[in-house]
Amino acid sequence: MSTETKPKAELYKRVDALWTLVRDQFAFLRRDPLAYAGMLVVAAFVFLGLFGPFLAPHDPIEHTVRGDTGSVLRLSAPSVDAYFGTTAYGKDVLSQFLAGARPTLIVGLFGGLGTGALGFTVGVVSGYYGGWVDELLMRLTDLTFSLPFMPMALLLLTFMTPNIWLITAIIAGFLWKMPARVVRSEVLSVRERTFVKSARASGASDLRTMLYHVAPNVLPIGFLYTAYGVAWAIAAQASLAFLGFGDPTMTSWGRMLRQVFASGNMRVAWWWVLPPAIGIAAITTSVFLIGRAYEEVINPEIQTNQ
Amino acid sequence: MTKFQRFLLKRLAISVLLTLIAVSVIFVVLRLLPGSPFETLVTSGNLNQEQIDEIRAMYGLDQSIWGQYVNYLWSLLSFQFGYSILRSQPVWEVLEPRLINSLILLVPALVTTAILSSLLGMYAGWNRGSRLEKFSIVSTTLLRSTPVFITAIFFIIVFAYNLEIVPSLGMRSIRATPDGYLETFLSLDFLHHYLLPFTVAVLYYSGDFLLLARNGVIEKRGSEFLKLHRAKGLSEMQQLARAGRNSMLPILTYFTLRLGMIFQGLILLEVVFSWPGIGRELVLAIQQQDYPLVQAAVFIMALAVILANLAADVLYAYFDPTVSTNGGGSA
Repeated sequence: MSTETKPKAELYKRVDALWTLVRDQFAFLRRDPLAYAGMLVVAAFVFLGLFGPFLAPHDPIEHTVRGDTGSVLRLSAPSVDAYFGTTAYGKDVLSQFLAGARPTLIVGLFGGLGTGALGFTVGVVSGYYGGWVDELLMRLTDLTFSLPFMPMALLLLTFMTPNIWLITAIIAGFLWKMPARVVRSEVLSVRERTFVKSARASGASDLRTMLYHVAPNVLPIGFLYTAYGVAWAIAAQASLAFLGFGDPTMTSWGRMLRQVFASGNMRVAWWWVLPPAIGIAAITTSVFLIGRAYEEVINPEIQTNQ
Repeated sequence: MTKFQRFLLKRLAISVLLTLIAVSVIFVVLRLLPGSPFETLVTSGNLNQEQIDEIRAMYGLDQSIWGQYVNYLWSLLSFQFGYSILRSQPVWEVLEPRLINSLILLVPALVTTAILSSLLGMYAGWNRGSRLEKFSIVSTTLLRSTPVFITAIFFIIVFAYNLEIVPSLGMRSIRATPDGYLETFLSLDFLHHYLLPFTVAVLYYSGDFLLLARNGVIEKRGSEFLKLHRAKGLSEMQQLARAGRNSMLPILTYFTLRLGMIFQGLILLEVVFSWPGIGRELVLAIQQQDYPLVQAAVFIMALAVILANLAADVLYAYFDPTVSTNGGGSA
């Protein structure tokens, strides 16, 4: 009996410790005004991603805004008919902006999580085992480093019909190398510490040692790079959409920018440019600001003397 | 053979292998593409079978896939990229001027930003907690996390459309017909077009260098050698100079890595500014399914990354032998 409850209690204690850690981080972020502002922006963005399409007053693509006389309002400046103005095709910019948050959120969230999870796993396994496993995995990261992301993504998206999940997969498939390298180098130092060595000496399996002793110690940096992964994924998705390689069935902020750019209306229709541009800039910057504040906590080297 | 030579040899072999894998991936991906530009050429061109065979032979499509692969590898090795399908010009003739147009924009921008923002970053790191430090961190975080095309769009709107200081697109005015590179790049008209994309590129890359330099100096601040310098009575600036010099290595390695990644990052910049560089050419070639052009452009970009990675690793191992020889490279 006791042999069964002990790991459980241990696990609870760990979860509890993790929860305290998370709470502490939030408390910390609140003290940093920039990170706090970033957190608010991220919260607003998540809200938009979840509920934006329902809040949109019109269908972003189907609906055509008409004025009092019944004529289609093309490229009209913000007014009571359309609070954010209309596009060259007479579509409501506000509706497109609200609906466009969702693909950005999906790619950002899943691309970021995928990047973090994949990179974390590779980093831990590679650093823990060393030897040929390490060699193989690191050469694999070298390979993804050598295949330039943008051109390869463009190539892949020309022969597969772009959809949002494919784009997410491509982004995660290219970006995991960043967390992998950083996590691996952390693992290399953790591996040499006494508690890991004693765990192995006392007969813990490799999997168990990795899971209970190594992974928790490199988790913070894994989280940090997951967060950065979110920002990279959002930026990559917006860039691809801007080049015309986005999901053609979904309105996204990057796609809105592509349309205003390609239609040649950038000079006049500032109301069509600003919402998606500010949206993307705000969310990526916010994630990075949070990351920076967080990095100060977990990077002991930058902390010295302060 | 010294340890360093062995490392060098191993790293070289890996680079060659990586290049081989990278070009193979490109080959496979391009062969998997549905529909080929030749089909449109054949169906729209009213060609008879003889002419079709001739075209297919010209592009080596009459051979087995292995034959095509070997030819392809050979052509890349000899930098003979074949004929562009849509421009009916040798690929290299199309790409060379565009490559130069890209480099003339990117290399000066990268060098400028590496020097300026590293110095600023060192100064900011030295004066930790100052208003300058906070401001520089926020502004560079904003600039480096925002996708470059969005920064570019903001700059175009402000400086080209509203203030009308600079043109919003192109490399030369439409009427300019310069002859040769010197005439192209040494003119006020070019400078006028150059200013905006250059500035955006500098600002976009400034963040990483600034943060790297700042962190480097902060790490060095508490170290023993600086205490010695302080005890010797060196001024603040002299101390900073020494702390800065000692944090140069990561910056140098990062610079090489960035140099390799330069083309791909600026595909977007070139598209926004209609800059006739290799990145914009790649996007156009993909849209028009001009395979020989696409594979050459992607190959050049991949090669740049591989060479830069190699250079960064070697630099690191050479200047800092304490670093484990397989952990080099930052970020």
